[in-house]
Parts: sequence; structure tokens; C-alpha cells
Amino acid sequence: MTKKKNKVLEGAEYGVDSRYTSKKDKEVDGKTLMEARLKRMNNLSEDQIARAKLLQLKLKMEEYISKPVYQDNNFFTEFLTTYIDTIYSKRSNFAKDIDITPILLSKVINNHREPRDEFMMRLMIHSEKTYKNICEFHKKTWFQVYFHEKICDTMSSQDKWRPKVEKHVNVSKLIKAE
Amino acid sequence: MIVTDTTSGKSHQVKIEPVESGDYKNITKGRYFFDWAEEKDWEIYKLRIIDSRDILGLVSFERIPAEWRIHIRLLSVSKENKGSAKKYKHITGNLITYVSKIAIKEYAELACVSLKPKEIIAQHYIDKYGMNITGMTLSVEIIEIMNLINTYDHD
Repeated sequence: MTKKKNKVLEGAEYGVDSRYTSKKDKEVDGKTLMEARLKRMNNLSEDQIARAKLLQLKLKMEEYISKPVYQDNNFFTEFLTTYIDTIYSKRSNFAKDIDITPILLSKVINNHREPRDEFMMRLMIHSEKTYKNICEFHKKTWFQVYFHEKICDTMSSQDKWRPKVEKHVNVSKLIKAE
Repeated sequence: MIVTDTTSGKSHQVKIEPVESGDYKNITKGRYFFDWAEEKDWEIYKLRIIDSRDILGLVSFERIPAEWRIHIRLLSVSKENKGSAKKYKHITGNLITYVSKIAIKEYAELACVSLKPKEIIAQHYIDKYGMNITGMTLSVEIIEIMNLINTYDHD
């Protein structure tokens, strides 16, 4: 390799100015790139698509547990439904794989029943095995999502439950301020 | 994600987070090669070693949702991390991987991260990060992104 080329390649690692010089440039490049990408996308296997969706799910769960979210969504069951539907064409097959009835799974997914420890632990093991060949997946992620949602829901709805609950709380031995 | 000290071989965990307004006085053209203040209207992220405030690398980018794509506008390491005498390695790889993770989070299997480096250095990015080339544009898509994540992301 020539000295000049060596120097240029060494320079490549310092950075890139990749800004488009005009809107037209951006549009033309985008169009050409999209045509090439669509061809490549058509060659993706079902497994490759599932891997991408599961990676997306993992990143969304990690983002969710990293900050307080005060929205009235059922995040745990939304993530769970995405997880199951990405892997299985029938939800009953997931129920079979973690040895629960399809009715119980349906109740959990539709928020008619809280998932018990047994359900959570089986989900944890199932995910460990699923993600093993995709990317790192922390054992505690599902638990964190579940409890994070509980904490956020409880904290954000204090005006609803607090007046009633507070009537039942008395601190008979109050520690005085110094 | 980690960077490795090229002298001691020691690895350090890094954090990548948005640039704050107070950072601009420190991210000078002299140390980071570009005028980063020009990028204020875009998303800009900085890479630092956990427990250190020193910025080792920067990236700015534009989300293009209609094309399921994120385009990297500027990317740079700090002056002392340039070339063969660099202090830490993996800064650029970590920054590209971080942007790729955002693309996956947004667009799943349709995700694409693009950049358009000047001619000769394009080959470096193709060789090192497995980028596709389309015209003058380089890109990583789902297969390359998965490889990047498995190489650089151990979080």
C-alpha cells in the first residue's frame, strides 16, 4: 500500500463528513438506495426477520425500563404479545411450550389475570433460550418490565387511591425532626 | 459497549448519550475536526468512558422515517484517538453500532443506517464495518447491523 493511501485510510478513522449538499442529493441517493435495499430485503429469510423483530422488542423493553413512563398502556402485555406473535403463528403453541393452558395465556394477555411467579419464570427461561442465538438478553428483563409498570402505574395514580388508603394509615410513633 | 486502551490493553465501559448545551464549549473544531455547533438542529450523541466526562467521539444524524433509514451526518473521534497512535480503539464502531440500535428500535427488519464518505475512505468502512455500497452511499442493514451488535454491544 502506498504511503498516501495509508495516510488516507488512517484518516478515515478520525471521522466522516457525510452531510448532503442539497435536498435533491438526498432524495436521489435515498431513491437509489431504496431500490437496492428492497432487493436485499426480498432475500431475507423468515428467521432473519424474526431475529430483527426480537432485537427490536428487546431494545424497546430496555428503553421502557430505563425511565419512568406515565401512560395508561399495558406495556407488559403489549411486549408479551409482540414476543409471542413474532415467534408463533398460534398463541396456543406458546402456551403449550411453557406448559400452561391457552385460556390462562389469553387471560394474562388480555389483562384479566396477573401473571404469577410460575408464569414469569417460565417466560424468563423461554426468552433465554430464544435469544441465545440472537443477542444478549438479561434474565431479569421481563420481571423489570412487569414491576416497572406496576411502580409507574401506582405512582401516577395516587390521586385516585391515596385518599381512601391514607385513612387506614396512622403513624402513632412519629419521629420528630431535628 | 467498551473501548480498549491501546497501550495497556485495558477495556473501559462507555456511555453514549445526547450532547448537552454545556458541551459545545468543549467540542471544538481543533479537537473534534468539525464545527459541531452547526449540527445543533440535529440529534448529536457523545461517547465517554463511564466515570469520565471527557468526550472521545461524537456523531450527528438525521432520522428519515419515510425510508426507514437513519443517515449519519458527521462522525468523529477526538484528536488523540485518530490514526495509528490512537489512545483508545473501537470508538467509531461503537458510535455506528449505537445509531444502528436506534434504527432497529424504530424500523426492525427494515432498518438502515447510511453514510456518504468521500471516495477513497469508503473502502475502509466497507472492510471494517461490512457496509454495503450503493452508488456513493454506504449502508448497514439488518444483517450487517446484527453483526455490528454482536461485535460491539455487550450490554
